[in-house]
Parts: sequence; C-alpha cells; structure tokens
Amino acid sequence: MAHDEVKKEILSPEKKCEVPENWKANILAFACHYCAFAAADLAGVMRLSYPTNVKVIRLPCTGKLDQIYLLRAFERGVDGVFAAG
Amino acid sequence: MTRMTPQQENVDKIGSVLVVGSGIGGMQAALDLANSGFMVHMVSDEPSIGGTMSRLDKTFPTGDCAMCMISPRMVESSRHPNIHLHTLAKVLSIDGQEGNFVAKINQQPRYVDADRCTGCGACEPACPSKVFDSFNQGLNKRKAIYALFPQAVPNTRAIDPQHCLYLTKNVCRKCEKACEANAINFTDTGKEIELNIGSIILTPGLATYQPEIRGEFGFGKHKNVVTALQFERLLSASGPCGGEVARPSDGAHPKRLAWIQCVGSRNAHNANPWCSSVCCMYAAKQSIIAKEHDPEVRSTVFYMELRAFGKDFDKYIEKAKNDAEVVYKRAMVSEVIEDPETQNLFIHSVGEDGKLVNEEFDMVILSIGFEPREDAKEFAEIFGVSADEYGFAKTSKLHPVETSRKGVYVAGTYQGPKDIPETVIQGSGAAAEAMALLGAKRGSQVVEVKLPDERDTIGEEPRIGVVVCHCGTNIAGTVDVEKVAAEAAGQPGVAHSETIIYACAPDGQQKIRDLITEKKLNRIVVASCTPRTHGPLFMDTIREVGLNKFLFELADIREQCSWCHMNDKENATSKAIEIVNMNVAKTRNLVPVTTASVGVEHTALVIGGGIAGMNASLSLAAQGYGVHLIERQESLGGLLHKVYTTIDGDDVQTYLADTIQKVENNPSITVHLEKTVHKIDGFVGNFETLLEDGEKISHGALLIASGGVEYQPTEYGYPDSKRVITQRELESDLYHQGPQDGATYVMIQCVGSREDPDNYCSRICCQDALKNAIAIKEKSPTARVIILYRDMRAYGLKEDYYKKARDIGVLFFLYTPDLKPQTEQVGDKVRVRFLSTVLGKDMVVDADYLVLSTGFRPQPDGDDFAKKFKLTCNIDGFLLEAHVKLRPVDFPSEGFFLAGLAHAPKNLEETISQSLAASARVGALLSNDKLSVSGVISKHNRDICMSCLACVKKCPFGAPFIDEDGRVSHNEVKCTGCGICAGVCPAKAYQVNYFRDDQILAMVDSVTDH
Repeated sequence: MAHDEVKKEILSPEKKCEVPENWKANILAFACHYCAFAAADLAGVMRLSYPTNVKVIRLPCTGKLDQIYLLRAFERGVDGVFAAG
Repeated sequence: MTRMTPQQENVDKIGSVLVVGSGIGGMQAALDLANSGFMVHMVSDEPSIGGTMSRLDKTFPTGDCAMCMISPRMVESSRHPNIHLHTLAKVLSIDGQEGNFVAKINQQPRYVDADRCTGCGACEPACPSKVFDSFNQGLNKRKAIYALFPQAVPNTRAIDPQHCLYLTKNVCRKCEKACEANAINFTDTGKEIELNIGSIILTPGLATYQPEIRGEFGFGKHKNVVTALQFERLLSASGPCGGEVARPSDGAHPKRLAWIQCVGSRNAHNANPWCSSVCCMYAAKQSIIAKEHDPEVRSTVFYMELRAFGKDFDKYIEKAKNDAEVVYKRAMVSEVIEDPETQNLFIHSVGEDGKLVNEEFDMVILSIGFEPREDAKEFAEIFGVSADEYGFAKTSKLHPVETSRKGVYVAGTYQGPKDIPETVIQGSGAAAEAMALLGAKRGSQVVEVKLPDERDTIGEEPRIGVVVCHCGTNIAGTVDVEKVAAEAAGQPGVAHSETIIYACAPDGQQKIRDLITEKKLNRIVVASCTPRTHGPLFMDTIREVGLNKFLFELADIREQCSWCHMNDKENATSKAIEIVNMNVAKTRNLVPVTTASVGVEHTALVIGGGIAGMNASLSLAAQGYGVHLIERQESLGGLLHKVYTTIDGDDVQTYLADTIQKVENNPSITVHLEKTVHKIDGFVGNFETLLEDGEKISHGALLIASGGVEYQPTEYGYPDSKRVITQRELESDLYHQGPQDGATYVMIQCVGSREDPDNYCSRICCQDALKNAIAIKEKSPTARVIILYRDMRAYGLKEDYYKKARDIGVLFFLYTPDLKPQTEQVGDKVRVRFLSTVLGKDMVVDADYLVLSTGFRPQPDGDDFAKKFKLTCNIDGFLLEAHVKLRPVDFPSEGFFLAGLAHAPKNLEETISQSLAASARVGALLSNDKLSVSGVISKHNRDICMSCLACVKKCPFGAPFIDEDGRVSHNEVKCTGCGICAGVCPAKAYQVNYFRDDQILAMVDSVTDH
C-alpha cells in the first residue's frame, strides 16, 4: 500500500463514501456581527472571490453560538459548519 | 481682552446655525449641530444636496460606492427635524455679529411644487428641451425639467429656466400635461427670506480646473481625452453609460488608459500654483476600479511626485502597482496627439533617463485639480470674510476653521484643497466652534421629534414585504434580482415582493413606507447591502410608519454575494435567493422589541494632555460639559513642546503656553497629571473609569488623544556624530541660535519612514524640511541647503513653500530607496554621496550638518493601550477609526472618539481640526439627556433559571449578578447582547432579542431545505 493511502486510511475515522462528480460541499458559516461578518463584507468590498456554496448567519457575537445550531445544521445535511468570530 | 460675564454674553445669542453648502462637509456640520440641539438652516445653490462627493463613483481604500455612503447622510439631513434645507438658494447678505446674525436668502423658483411632486419622473420624457448634463460633466444630456441625479435630495424635479421652452419662448408646457400630480407651477417666483442665526459655517465646496487652458493635452479637441471627474461618471453605475466604461469617440471599451497628473495644479504659469492634494490618490483609485471593470485594462500614470501622504495611502499605491498592474512613470508630458483614424492618443513624454518616449493609448484621463469657485470673491464679500491671494478662505494654522469674521467658520475645500475625511473632520470641527459659541443656547430653537405610536402587531399573522435592491448595477449586474424577488414571493408569510433601483435613496425609502401602509405589512426584509451600515436607516424608516424597528431584517446580497461572485452569475442568483429566503424565515419569527433609555453623564474623559487633548477639552468645556483630562507625563503639552514655529511662522510656544494656561484655569476641566487608566467599565453615556491610583471617574464619553512618539533614528551615524541631527533638533538650533553662515546643510527625507517595517509616510517631514530650509536661507543666504527626497509631499497650499524654497536656492535631489545616500564622517564634516539622475552623475557634498527627516511612531505601549479599551490598530500600530472616509474621529465602539497622532501622523493644523471634530462628536453625544439602549440585549427568564452561575462566570460585562434573594438576576443596562450567557446557560433561560434561538434555527432550516 502506498504511503499516502495508508495515511489517508488512518486519518479518516469513517469509511470512504462515494463522492459524486460535481459535488460541492454545502457550508454554513456563523459569524460575529462585529468581526467575521464585517470580514465577509470586506471580502466583498475587496471583490475577493470565493465559491458560492457558503451562506453566512449573522450572530451578535460568536458567544451566541449554540450547540443546537450546529447539531441542527448537520442533522439537516449541511456538509460543514464554519464558526468565525 | 475684556470678557463680558457669561450671562450678558448669552443674552442675544441665537441657538441656530446657517450652513452654506451641502456637500459632505456641510452635511457633517449640520448633522453634528442638529444632533447637538441646534437648529440648522442649510443652503445649497443646487436643486439637490450632496456636493462633489455625490459625483464620485467609488471611494478608496475600501472601494465603497460613494453614493451608498453619502445617500444615508443626505437622507438623514433631509429627515432631521432640526435641519431646514434651502435648495436653489443663495445668501444675499449677512448683518449682525457673532452670536446674532441676520441672513437674507434668495430662493430661486423651482417651478415644481415640492409638496406635490412624487419624483416619478413622468415629466422628463415629455420635455423636448435637451441640455448638457452638468452632473455627468457634460457627457450626456438631460432635460430642462430634471433631477440633479437619480438619488437627489429633496427628491423633486426642478425646471431649468434657462432652457425651458415655456419660460424662454412661451411655448410647450408639455411637462404640465404629463404630470399627474399637478406639481408643475410656472407661476413660481423667487422669494427672499430672512433668517436669524447665531453662527455661520461656510462649506461652499470647489470648482475644478478647466483643462482647455492647457491646449497641449487636447481636451475639448480630442474626444477621448476626458477629465478625471468625467471618468468618475463613466465608471459610475448611475453615470451616462451605466458603469460600462465606453470611450466617447466610438463607445468602445478602452483597454489602454493613461492618467496625466497635476493638470491645473502646481503650475503658476497657466494653471494654479497649489497642489490639489487628492489627485494622486483618485488616479490610483480610478486605475484600480477600471481594472475591476475590465481585467484587460492596462493603466499608466504619468506623475511628477507621488503624494500619498495620508494614513495607509502608500499601501493603496502599492496595491495599484502590484495588484492592478498600474505602471507609474515619473515624467512630464509634453503633449497628447490624436491619431485621426482610430482616435487613439499618443503621449510624448520625457522619461527619467531623459529620453523621449511615444506611447499609444485608447483614452487619456486628465487629473484635474481643485480651485475656489468662480464666485469665491463675491462669496467672501457677502460673508465679510478675508480670502487669501488665491480666493480660499483665510485661516491660520492655529485656528484652521475660523475665518477673519467672528462667529463665521469654514470647512472643506473652501479652506484649501483636501480630501473627504479631512473635509468631514473640518465639518465637525466648525460645528464644534459653533457649539462652543452658542453652548448656552443649545435646545432653544429646536423641535422635538414626534414619531407615530407603534402599531400593535401582536397576534397578527406575519405579512412580510420583501424589497430586493438593484443597487444600480452593484447587485443587479450580477444577481437576477427579479428572480430573487419572485422566489421570495413564494415563501410562507410573504405578502408582497418587488425590486427597487436604490432602496436606500429617499424614493426607495418612501416606497417602503408606502408599501407598509398600502399592503398592511407587519414585517420587512430588504435585500441589499450589509446590515452593518444600512440596517439602522431602514429600521428608522419602518418606525416612521409605526412599525417596531425590530420587525426588519436586511439580507446582505451585495457584499456577501454579488460583489464576490461577479463571474458566476447563475450561482450568485441562487445564493442570493437562499440568503433572502433565510432572512425571510427569520423575519417570520421576529417579535417587537422595546428599547429602554438611560441617562447621560454630561462629562467627557479625555486621555492625553497634548495639543489635541487640550483643544478638545477647551471646546467641550465651552460647549458646557465637564472634562477630566488625563496625562501620564508630569506636564501638559506633549510633543508640541519641541516645535517653535509653524510653516506660516506662527509662534507655537506662545500658543502652547496660552493653551496650557487656559486649560489649567478652566473651572470645567479637571487635569489629572501623572495618571493612567487602569480600566474602564460601563457603557455609552455612563462609563466609569478607574485610574491606576484608585480614583474613579464617571463620564459619558471617552476621547482618546494619546499621541505618538518621534522616531529616534539609528541611520546615517545618528546619534553618535554631533554633525548628524534630526529636523526637530535643527528647528531648536535655528530658533535659539539661528543658522550658521556659509554652512552646508544636507537633509535626507523619509528616514525611518516608507520602508519596511515602518512602511508609511509620516506626512510632516517634507513640510518640516521646507520650513527649516527656508528659515536657514532667509536668515543666512550664504548657507547651502540640499534636500535629498523621494517625493516632496508639499500637499495643498504648502506647495507655495516648496516653490519658495526652490526660488531662494534650496537644492532638491531625488533618491530612490534602493540607492540611498551614502555618508561618512570626514573630519568635522559629513561627506554625503548620492546619484543625481537628472545630471546623470554621482555627487559628493561635505555637509556641516546632516539633517535627518524622521517621522512619527505610534506610542510604544500602543497595543496594550488599545487592548485596555478593546480597540484595534492598523498594521502600523495607529488606532483604527470607525470609517476611514465618513467617521474619521469615531471608534466603532459607541461613546469612544479619537483625535491627534494616535490616529495617524499629521501636522499641528490637522491635529487642531481633528481635536475640534472629536469634541463636536463628543458634544453631540453628551447633549442628550437620555440615550436609547440598544434593543439587542439578552432577556433573562427567572422562572426557568436554576442559578447555576454559568452566566455570572462567563459574562464579560458583569450583567448577570446574584440578587438579594440569592438567585441570579440580569442587569440589562450592562448587557451588550453578545449572547454568551445564552450560549452557556444549560436551562436556556436567556434569549437574545432579535437573535432568539427560534429565529436562528429558522435560518438554518431554511438554508438546508432542499
């Protein structure tokens, strides 16, 4: 077994699943109004480009982030959650 | 001077102010005064307020749309109960004196009844008379009945009497038939009104240089030679070509662009002698934005000197060079020649190597400068103020916003060329002077705001209105806004959905108010830009028709969608739909939030006893507030103790001693020397600060003027050689001993500045070098002065001194950072070697004095200081303001303000302006008897609270506490609404207003609903 494959197997906690072609992760970001949300705005102001498959939910502070939000997001099939603040 | 007793002094004063001019400076002054309890009359000679800034496409460094920034200010100015707008008006005469003037104003007829006009624009297509559109710099035509621009305030049309066929030839009246609102009134006549005011602020703005005068550039002959202001309109989404840059000759997209700098500036022969201060930066901005419009654009800037002297300006130039691949050529352009076939343009220039170059471009943009308005002379006479030799209002470096007439103040480009933030600073600064003059009359002329009662929506089913904004082409150019609106219409609870060109413009906001009433809406979602800037505006809008402010959400489909996904229109539209639907889902769950109010401690705490802190303290005391001034040194005065004269020759030490004495003798100012702040508690209007020595100070606002330090050089043999000194040391020597006859002084600029790790311009060193060089040559003509520079940044009217220095024999040689001057100590002298590019050879000079132009550094403990107040610094360590352009002296945290060197390097005049500006901002806050507490706070439900104390331990603000009954209670006044308590509470006893769990989860559910 090639070294890279061994490494992959060790790193992955689950079995590999089939990844369909053209698959894009659906990502939800929870962002603090004052910093990360402002940074997301700044990305726009600077015309930085990133994939469209990330949506931002504004929080008054990442302190407001509740486990329930994360669990609900995963439960409903989100591929990744990004908390920034 | 004899002072009258305060009581007598106040007898005849009037608590209202006349602001003449309605650009960004005038609006700033008007809003600060209006928010501070003064009645303001704002006079504009145009049919709309907005001034020059409304003509700009975008502003650097953020690339924000100028209209999006200025539009909320215009709306606020027009809606403010304490501001009366007089458009199409002119002041005829001023009588009276400081505190009590009478102004006669002539109001031109508008021929359109402002009360009846809905701004629908149906009259325009009917009008047969076409006129060059002055707003679009003559690039297209408008009608004789017109709005100055689409977002005009007030949003009523006006008839241009010079071009109206009925008013000139007595035929037509077509607009009258087209107007269903019966708003056309041809019998309108001009009227004269008289106003009684206590003070006057002049912000008439500027004219731009007419480049036809310099025939060699071909403006007016070659179609593809345009002015920078015309190019601004070509770039603008609301401009004559809808934001798709088209060159005038054939409408093609130009690829090769050239900017010629200093057209009309820095040239006493057939133009203006001064530097216009802003052209270097706007050329960089335009070249960057042109590249954004079309990645194939290749830009070249022909310049004499790069004057990127402001905060983070050099970094922006670097961005232009590196990211937008703009080529900067230091060259004098001798002529622009048109190819008659292609109408392309050839620029002949002489490069740094002395060789003639000939290059072809598709379009040439002339960076035209500022000049006083044509009527500046008459204007000065009407107001009885002195003008300088060029027509700018005469002020002194020590009193930068005071005119020669008492009670009449000046701000913006009428005082000298300057950019937007400096204009805003002077606007606030002039307001501070008026506030200080009329302090005792605050509140005497104003009317109280009466909002309609809030409609009770409890129990109603959600009826959501969705408004999707085009934002010109900012959103609609990428996102299919009609589709977004259609998708939103299908969401549960949505009663109405439509698109709108500019939601934030007055007509857009009126539309929203109308929709709420007509469609009986009880919740609104606007899909446009970021809630961080525009949320409060729309919340106020819906409140005005009786809807609770918090029945609103803003879906950010510009910054977080259209602007980042310009190249992927289809997916951008899908994302916008998801963003809007998410916010609709949240809005369905929104409930009204009540806001409490708290009292205000009418005292300010000022940190830093330098000239900025002292001036601000004096202004605040004169306005009628208490001041605590904290200084960590043993005496007041700061860095100014080392400055002896201004470049104009003012005696700085006398001024400083006088200011210190005024501060020490002012009964409203408590000076705390050798004190520092330990920590600050509380919230806007009610702070409590603990000093290191244990003293507690209650205050309503905090002004940080903590200053900076001078750079102590280690370059060129300093401090080991006695012959190597700094400009500051030279200034002291010149003041105390005078120059040494026959001696050679060599000055090296940018020592420790504009290079990593301190890659910023210290702004004052060029002026200091000129000041000292002139002082040497004037007193001792036999002395030799040589200045080795990278760019002489003698911006604005300081260009006069650059010219004067050259005229009296100061020698200037350019050096580049990769080829710095070499020095060695030879006996009693310093031998300086440098390359003269113009002469093409190495030069050797034995200097008696090597003078290093060293700049400023932030305070060495600045990081810790910033952390103490939870503030941020820019990469160079200077404190970061709330908004670079429009909020230059505010911090993002409410109740915190900024002035002086702590913000960025600046000279004395600029520091004084800024300290006045900050005191106006502080004053406007402290003038309130009560402040509304933000509605976004945590609500505690005692019934389900188990008093586990998780919240008490985690709250950074100390809001939850153990109450007398031993259980947890929550102090809502201290609460900032961060929601940490809600996150850690195992019982879910906390819910944050406007961010409740059900509201956030509705968003999660919406976006995962596939």
